[in-house]
Amino acid sequence: MIKISNLSKSFQKNLIVDDVSIQIEKGEVLALIGSSGAGKSTFLRSINCLEKADCGQLDLDGFHVNFTNITKSQKLELRKQTAMVFQHFNLFQHRTALDNVKEGLKIVKKMSDKTATEIALKHLEDVGLSDRVNYYPKHLSGGQQQRVGIARALAMEPKLLLVDEPTSALDPELVGGVLSTIKATAAKGQTMILVSHEMSFVYEVADRVIFMDGGRIVEQGTPDEVFNNPKSPRTEQFLQSYKNR
Amino acid sequence: MSVKLFDIDIVISSIPKLLQYLPKSLYITFVSMIAGLFLGLIFAIVRMKKIPVLSQIIAVAISFIRGTPMIVQLYLTYNGIPLLLKYINLQYGTEYNINDVPAMLFVLITFSFNEAAYNSETIRAALMSVNKGQIEAAESLGMTYFQVLKRVIVPEALVVAIPPLGNALISLLKGTSLAFVAGVIEMTAQGKIISSSTFRFFEVYLALAIIYWVLTIIIEQILKLLEKKFSISDVHTDVQKRKWTSLFNRDREVDR
Repeated sequence: MIKISNLSKSFQKNLIVDDVSIQIEKGEVLALIGSSGAGKSTFLRSINCLEKADCGQLDLDGFHVNFTNITKSQKLELRKQTAMVFQHFNLFQHRTALDNVKEGLKIVKKMSDKTATEIALKHLEDVGLSDRVNYYPKHLSGGQQQRVGIARALAMEPKLLLVDEPTSALDPELVGGVLSTIKATAAKGQTMILVSHEMSFVYEVADRVIFMDGGRIVEQGTPDEVFNNPKSPRTEQFLQSYKNR
Repeated sequence: MSVKLFDIDIVISSIPKLLQYLPKSLYITFVSMIAGLFLGLIFAIVRMKKIPVLSQIIAVAISFIRGTPMIVQLYLTYNGIPLLLKYINLQYGTEYNINDVPAMLFVLITFSFNEAAYNSETIRAALMSVNKGQIEAAESLGMTYFQVLKRVIVPEALVVAIPPLGNALISLLKGTSLAFVAGVIEMTAQGKIISSSTFRFFEVYLALAIIYWVLTIIIEQILKLLEKKFSISDVHTDVQKRKWTSLFNRDREVDR
């Protein structure tokens, strides 16, 4: 079980994430929804220290950190236990798809080139890119790049996968491939926190949905509870704006 | 017998005489470039990390070096270092002999710092141009700062830095012609010596110009090759796969 408690983060004097606590069971898919600026991405990025949280604690299968005074080695360990999929893919531009996936295996996990290649090829196959392994990111479509990004994250076998608006930077016709890849990942029992604006996808894939507003958790429950019977008027208002689009 | 207005034979026969001093010109160029790159990287990191005091000192030094002519800087080191030695001798009762300091040292110090000043700005700009997302991706995989620097920042920055650093190398090569003011005989100084003994000034200097030009063309071609090697072409081809990273992964095994 993964537990994050009382996490807060502010930029200058703006409180972006306000005392958020969550729990995730193993294999659970937790989706964060909410309007832009609600603090979803910042919360996600604070979990693996891409943003330094002001305070908060994390418990990951007995590995405990306090964000206020996290040490360098704890930070590295935390990042080894988690992996991230980015909105803008963030692939290494000077490396091929295969080398992008191998990078963490070789440099962080110190695997031999042979083992790393085997694992990377398997993960690229899983995301349907066996025929693109030697392509550089700039020769791949956005959707393909994001699938490489997913393969790169999964190859690290993270205990917790952090997925940050994976389709927000994609053309509409490329969204489907990425979403089905995430769905397949979820079906394999990968624990993940997903930030997404694709409401129908969230409804379909998430085990639990959290609606955030103004840096706080407003409401949480199963997709059915949150989407069909929202308790808070703010959640209702937010969902209504999606239905009206 | 009338004297020819222009004698091509003298141009040709001067070339080997000038080339005797080519190694010296190249020595100054490459030693200063390497020292300049190394110092430039340190300057750039100090300024990017905004290390107090050191950062300000370096900013002033860079401004001074960029704001004064190279020849004046050479005069300053040539006359300043002996002064400094005298001061040390007086202050500490040591007996350093200024005549033991080789002229080359003045030249190398001046050129290295000059290169460092210009290179540090190039390096700083190149390091800052690296996409932040890629750095975050590397960090999120659990890499240490040094690993991120080596695996992501430096390789990406190199692509940006090669053309301006190449320019710096070419101006440095030509700049070595100033070394004679500190008493180092390199190609240009040799040209002066030959021409003043034969009074064939134009021919000798023409020969000298040709040599510098050819050297520059060679450097330009090498840079073009490097640039090509380090950049990824616009369309996918099977041939180019992974040649880039092969420069950095010495432990690689065979391609699949």
